[in-house]
Parts: sequence; structure tokens; C-alpha cells
Amino acid sequence: MSDTAPSQLTTLFDNSTLNQIERMRLKPNRRLTNRARGEHLSGKGGSSTDFADFRDYVAGDDLRYVDWNIFARLRRPYIKQFQHEEEMHVVLLVDASTSMLFEDKMLRAKQLAAAFGIMGLQNVERVSAYAIHARQDQPWMLPPGAGRTRIRKLLKFLEGIEGGGNIPIEKAIETMLRFHRGRGVAIIISDFLTFGDVSRPLNLLYSAGLEVWGLQVLAESEIHPNVQGDLRFVDSETQETLDITNASELLNVYQDQRIWLQNALHSMCRSRQGRFMSVSSGMTLPTILFEHLCRQGWILR
Amino acid sequence: MKLPGFVNLFGAWFLLALIPLIILYFLKLRRPKMEVPSLALWQSVVNDQRVNSPFQKFRRNLLLLLQILLLCLLVLALMQPFLQADAEVAEYKPLLIDCSASMSATDEFTGKTRLELVKERVRAQIDNLTGDQRISLFAFSNTGRRLTEFSNDRRALLKALEALQATDMPGQLDDVLRMAAAYTRTFPIKTVTILTDGNLPDQVDFELPFSLDVQRVDAGGPNVGITEMSARRSGPEEWEVFVRVSASSVDLRGAELQLWEDGEQRESHQVEVSNEESERLVFPVTANQTKPLEARLVPAGFDSLAVDNRVWLTLPAARPLKVWVSPKLASWRHAVRVQPNLDLEESETAEPRGAEYDLLIVDEDGAGSAEAPVKLFVGVVPSDLQELIKVEEDVSSVVDWNRTAPMLRHVQLADVQIGEQPRLAVGAATKDLEERGYEVLIDGNAGPLMLQRREGLSVSYWFTFHTDRSTLPYRVGFPIIAANVVEAALKQASLSEVVAAATGVLPPISVDANRSYTIRTPDGETLSAEANVAGTLDGIAASRVGRYDVMDGSNIVTSIGTGLLSGTETSLKPVEELRFSELTVATDEAKQLDSDKPFWWFLALLAFGVLMFEWWYFQRARGVMV
Repeated sequence: MSDTAPSQLTTLFDNSTLNQIERMRLKPNRRLTNRARGEHLSGKGGSSTDFADFRDYVAGDDLRYVDWNIFARLRRPYIKQFQHEEEMHVVLLVDASTSMLFEDKMLRAKQLAAAFGIMGLQNVERVSAYAIHARQDQPWMLPPGAGRTRIRKLLKFLEGIEGGGNIPIEKAIETMLRFHRGRGVAIIISDFLTFGDVSRPLNLLYSAGLEVWGLQVLAESEIHPNVQGDLRFVDSETQETLDITNASELLNVYQDQRIWLQNALHSMCRSRQGRFMSVSSGMTLPTILFEHLCRQGWILR
Repeated sequence: MKLPGFVNLFGAWFLLALIPLIILYFLKLRRPKMEVPSLALWQSVVNDQRVNSPFQKFRRNLLLLLQILLLCLLVLALMQPFLQADAEVAEYKPLLIDCSASMSATDEFTGKTRLELVKERVRAQIDNLTGDQRISLFAFSNTGRRLTEFSNDRRALLKALEALQATDMPGQLDDVLRMAAAYTRTFPIKTVTILTDGNLPDQVDFELPFSLDVQRVDAGGPNVGITEMSARRSGPEEWEVFVRVSASSVDLRGAELQLWEDGEQRESHQVEVSNEESERLVFPVTANQTKPLEARLVPAGFDSLAVDNRVWLTLPAARPLKVWVSPKLASWRHAVRVQPNLDLEESETAEPRGAEYDLLIVDEDGAGSAEAPVKLFVGVVPSDLQELIKVEEDVSSVVDWNRTAPMLRHVQLADVQIGEQPRLAVGAATKDLEERGYEVLIDGNAGPLMLQRREGLSVSYWFTFHTDRSTLPYRVGFPIIAANVVEAALKQASLSEVVAAATGVLPPISVDANRSYTIRTPDGETLSAEANVAGTLDGIAASRVGRYDVMDGSNIVTSIGTGLLSGTETSLKPVEELRFSELTVATDEAKQLDSDKPFWWFLALLAFGVLMFEWWYFQRARGVMV
């Protein structure tokens, strides 16, 4: 379960990996930030020292921002605009339903969530985390917070997730949005294996000012299932069954359906100016982070 | 297209087993359970159009479909389906099998007889017998016999069929058709099937109460045989033996005709005959005592029918005809005396001295206790016709006479004046005479002038008027009549002409009266026969060609041989149609014996194939088989 020794800061990964993660930062497509000051430049005019643009003066504008040099030359008042540095909200949504308990899916999801959270906190973002499970005895939400001191809380929250239950990802997103305030990036780490429609919760996220990053974690047995003959599949979450005859002859169709699902999710995320990637739980965390995510431009080193 | 029928329709109830089969299939289908994170992807796989294509659907439920197919095939086999030969199922099928001599004709190439070919067809018919069908086997040659009752017992039918053998007799349909007609009163027989080689008389005196299906096998190969053998006395001890040889082939067929006497070949002659032709050969033979002759035909090439190659003929010992004429009948005595080879008892007594004669010519006084196979009564009305015929004192004349009767051959009776008038009683008619066994040879203007009656071997002629009271003795016809009656007596005594006996019934054999004899047949079997009061053995069946020995204990009393002697059988020529009283039935060579063909075994075989496929397919899918 653990890749690290007990002396490590977290059981999710070792300290050397942590050090590498701490030097990385998220690279959202859009600059969706909160009013609170942070290290992300706001798209709106701000009060930082970095000049942004000029605009015509209108009644009510603060006279302190009038560029008097231009007024002296042109005899017309122009307001000088500066870039506004605001903090970005990073929402981590970790699918901890029963389907994620297969092979290393849960561990990989928690490691990725921890990595994304650490990157956010290291860069003075507000980070909140939500675990999608049905366990009453476990916390399901880590309230938003910022600062490096939140790293330990975040790691503890993630380490404590054991998961279980049958909560569809789309319902979990809607529930999360009832508690969430703020713009930024919503990173959904899930297998996205749901019977429901994911497009609606993605719309809600987009409407809420969150850039959707979908990270699908699938087990090796889901990517390359080794099945043959007549089987009765049992859904780990619902215990529903499905009889399959000559499963080995359906593998081609299965792969087509899996690729189709990935493409559909990718398309949905891209259309909402987000990102999507599917990874195998069999990959190591460094491989996912430093090869795939970096290469795809999700994070900056 | 005819729909198949089913023998056991109740078997269809077993189709209800489909219900538990389907239920059990879904209840007891033991699929290994496998937990997967989510069914979402697999559900979409199942919903995929490609997976739901008809063929894929079929493949998904292949096991169930195979099991349903297997059950349906087994139930269908249980219902015993059969392809109907006719539009309606015939429940009672009489099969009349020709066992005449021509049915033993063999094929030159296959070596099979016609009867064997027919047996093959009947065997197939019996094998394909369905549950409610009954077959009755009849065999016929010159007469018919029933082999089995209507039965569906295959074993009994086949046993009777296998025991059936061709006889050495010509074929006749009349008897067997009458037997089959008798069964129509107790069984719903619609069609009677005749299996034959078509070598039958084309005219059948029978009114068909059912439809007739005549099916014939192909004609036999080339054949040559003896169709006639007879002998005629040419002198006191001289005989001319006539042998006629016929052939069935269009091409000339060569053969050597041999004449054997007492086991030694006496003469031989080469003959060449073709179809529609025959050659008649004459062999002069001297015989002063009984002499058995055998004609043997040795064909040069293949001969389809062997049974017609041997004929026996026994020449009787030479002796004069023994005649007694009533002393009052001077005209008859005078006319008879001039005939050759005749021993006329010159006696003036009213009654003959001997007890047995060959010919008796008597008037109303009779001949006492003397007996003869040929009797001529002059001026006598038979005692049993006294009430029907009265002789009146009146003049009568001849109206008509039977010109074909041997007795009146070459006789002209017109303008004969008769001083008596035999008259039929009021209300009596000729048929009344016929009912009592008399045939009218000469009709007068008021009643019969001459009658003939046959009783067994003997024949009697009756002039109901006295010839001395007519102008007949003065006519040319009178000595001719006398010659004819002598000739009839000679024939009856086999002194002038003897004909070889054909198979069927042996001719009467003269032996000691009231004694038991044993007849040894050509097959080696023995028959018992009792001589009658007159000292004749008659009515002895002779179905085989060959020599029949009449034995008294271990001593051979006499021997008589038979031959096929049938030009029809030797020709092997099939008739194209049989003419009945009111209709004609075609014989069809191409037509096979149509029988209902069960195919339950095919369905059972198919079910087994399905079972094997199912086993192979699913074992292969699980990787057990390589």
C-alpha cells in the first residue's frame, strides 16, 4: 500500500518525490482566480506593480490611478490599469467509491490528489479536497485553506480515505458544488465508470468558474481485461449482474467502448476549456507526474 | 409438395418439455461470477449494435438454441414422421406378388431373378411400414394364395416374403384378384398393388372393385425354351413326337434340342429361333409299350429361364381301341368297323362281355355294367332330363349345330329329316340343361337333338332321337360322325395323340382303384393320394417342372413328367396393359413401389450431430480441446 518508509512525511509517496512536487505548480488554461490576493495574476485590473493597460476615465474612478503624464500631454484623463494578483482555488475531487478499490486505483488517486494539493498549497492557492465515498465514519471534505501549513492536513485527509460505497461521480460533483465557493481548477480523479451523464456536472463546474481537469485512473484489468468464456459479471458497487457469453470475443468491442468513453470525456472537458487524461494505476506516480502530466502541460516544473 | 405425416402425433406433447428446458437453462446456467469495478463499460458492450446483431444474438444464446433444436429434433423423431407416398395414407395395402415361372428369369448381368427384384421392393415397403399401416402379402401364379393376413408385424411379413419362391407355372390374375376382392368386404382397401414382370395374360375376366396399381420390374434377359410337346400315332407302333421351341430374344438364339429315352440321349437337333417365331421339330419314335421321353434344350448362350428347357412326355403302349356297339345299331356298327386300329367286339348278345371298353355305342337297352370313357347313346334321353325333354311322334329337322365341337367336325346336317321330335317341356329352356351339365350340340326345331356331357375323365354323347328313324345314316356326315367319336375315344385313351402335361395339376393317372399311393415330386417331397373307384389318381398339384413318380410303397408304379409349356412365359414379354371387363390398367415399368418413407432416423442422426457440435463448440471455447 505504501511506497514510503514510516519516517517519511506521508505514506503516499517518499520525501524525494515530495521535494520534486513542491517545486512544481499547476498550469491552468484560464486565469480563474478569487478576489483574495494570491500568486495568480487576475484577468481583471488590479493593484499590483505590473502595468496592464490604459482605459478612458469614467466618472467615479479612483483619481489615484489617472496617468497624469498622459493627461499633461493629451489633455485627456486615462486610467492606468495594473494586473491584479489573486489566489486560485484548487478543488480536489477524489473518487473513493468501491470501483476505485480495485488494484492500485485508490492509492494512485490519493497520490495524485496529494501531489496536486501540495502544488497548490506551495503556490499559495486555496485548496479544498472532497472524497467521494459512502463511509459515514470518514470525513469526506477538507475545507478550503491556503498556506504551507495545510499540507499536513491535506495529506492526513487523503491518507485517511479508505473508500467504499456507491456514489456516482455526477452526484458527487453536484454535492460538492453546494459547499464550494470560488473560482479556479476542479481536478476530478476518478475512473469515470458511471451509468449517469457526466456532461451536466461538468457544466455546473464550468458555470461555477472552475476549470475542469479530468484524470481517469483505470486498473490494468480494466484496460486489458483477461476474460473468456461465459461469465457473470458482478458490479462491485451495485452488486448488479450482467451475463456475458464468450467474453473473449467481446474484447474488441470492449476496447472500442473504453476508447470511446475516453474520447467522450476528453471532448467534454476540452469543450469546457479543461483537460482530460487517462492513466493506468499500474504506472508509477513519478511516471504519471513527470512524464505524462508535464508533457501534456498540466503542471510546470 | 406433400407434407410429412406423423405416426405418433401424441409425441408432440413432449414439445412442452421446451418450457422446463428454457426455465432450467436460465436458472441453472452456472456462469462463473467475476466481480468488476463497474458494469458501465460491459453494459455498453452488450448494448453495442454489433453485439446485438442477429448473428451475435444467436451466438450469445447458442447453447439454448442448440438445446431447443436438439429437443425439437428428438420430439420430431419420436413423432415418427414419414414422407407420404400418396396424398392420403393407405392403411391397408394388399400386395399381390407374381410368382409365375417368368419371375425366376435371371438378369444376364446382375444374376438376380425378377422375383428377387420384386422382393427388394416389397422389403423396402415393409421396412417403411408406419404404425397404422397393414400389409397383406398374396402370391399368385396360375392361382392365388395369401401369404399373410393384414399385419404390421415386420418380422412375420419379412419371413413370409423370404419364404416366397417362384413356381413353374404360368401367371393368372383372376384367382388372386378375387381373393383380394373378398377382403374389400372386411377391410377398407382402396388400392391393390400388383408386383409383376408383366408376363401375364392381357385379358382378365374380373370386375375391379378397387383401383389397381400394376408395377412391373424390367423384363428378363434372352430366353429360349420348349413351349409345346406332343406325339401323334403314325402307325401301329409308330409315333411322331412334335417339339416346339420358342425364344424371347429378337436376335436369333441357338440351342441344341435333345430327345432322351429312359435316361439315354436318342436324338439331338440344332435350332435357331428368334422372338415372335418358333420352330417345330418332329422326331419319329417307335414304341410298342409305354415309353417315357424327355426333351432337353441346351441353349448356346445365356438363357434367362431354365425351367422351360425340359419337358417330359410318356408314350402309351400300342393297342387297338376296344369298342362295343349295341347289336341293334347296325348302321353304327357298320360305320365304326371300317376305322383302323380298332377292336370291335363282334357279339350278337344284348350286353357286352367285357367290363371296360374305350368306346360304347348303345341304344335304349344300354350296355349293362360295362364302362367306357367315351359313350355314345342313340335314341336315348338322359334319365335326369326325362322331365325336360319329351320325344314325340312327329317330324323334326336340324336348326343349328355346334360346328366347332370335335364330335361334329366336318359334318353337314342341313336337310336331315328326322322321324321323331324331341321337344323341350313347357317352361324348360336350354339353360336348364346346362345347369345339369349338358351341352347342346344339335338344336332341333322343338328341342335338343344331341347333347354332350363331361363327367370327370369320361364324356358321353346323347342322340335324343334314334338315328335309324332319320335320314342321317344315308348322309355323308354319318360315317364322319362315327370317325369323330372313334377319334375322341382314341384321344381319351391316349392312343392317337398324347400331349405333354403342363405344370399345375397332373393329368389323371390310371392305377388300381381304391388304393393309396405316394407321389414323389421333383423337389423330393412326397404326397399321398387315394385312387378313386374308377382307378384314377386326379387333382394332384404339380407346381414344379420335372418327373413325378407314383409309388406303391417303394415300387414305382408309373411316372409322369411335366413341363412349363407356356409360350407366354417363355417369351418373357410383358404386357403393356391389362384389359378388364370395363377398364384397362396400364402396367408401368418405371413406376416404383411407392411407400411412405419414415425419416425419424434422419432426425435422430441430426440430433446426434447437433449434440456433437454443441459438445465440440463449447469444449473448444473453454480451451479444453486443442
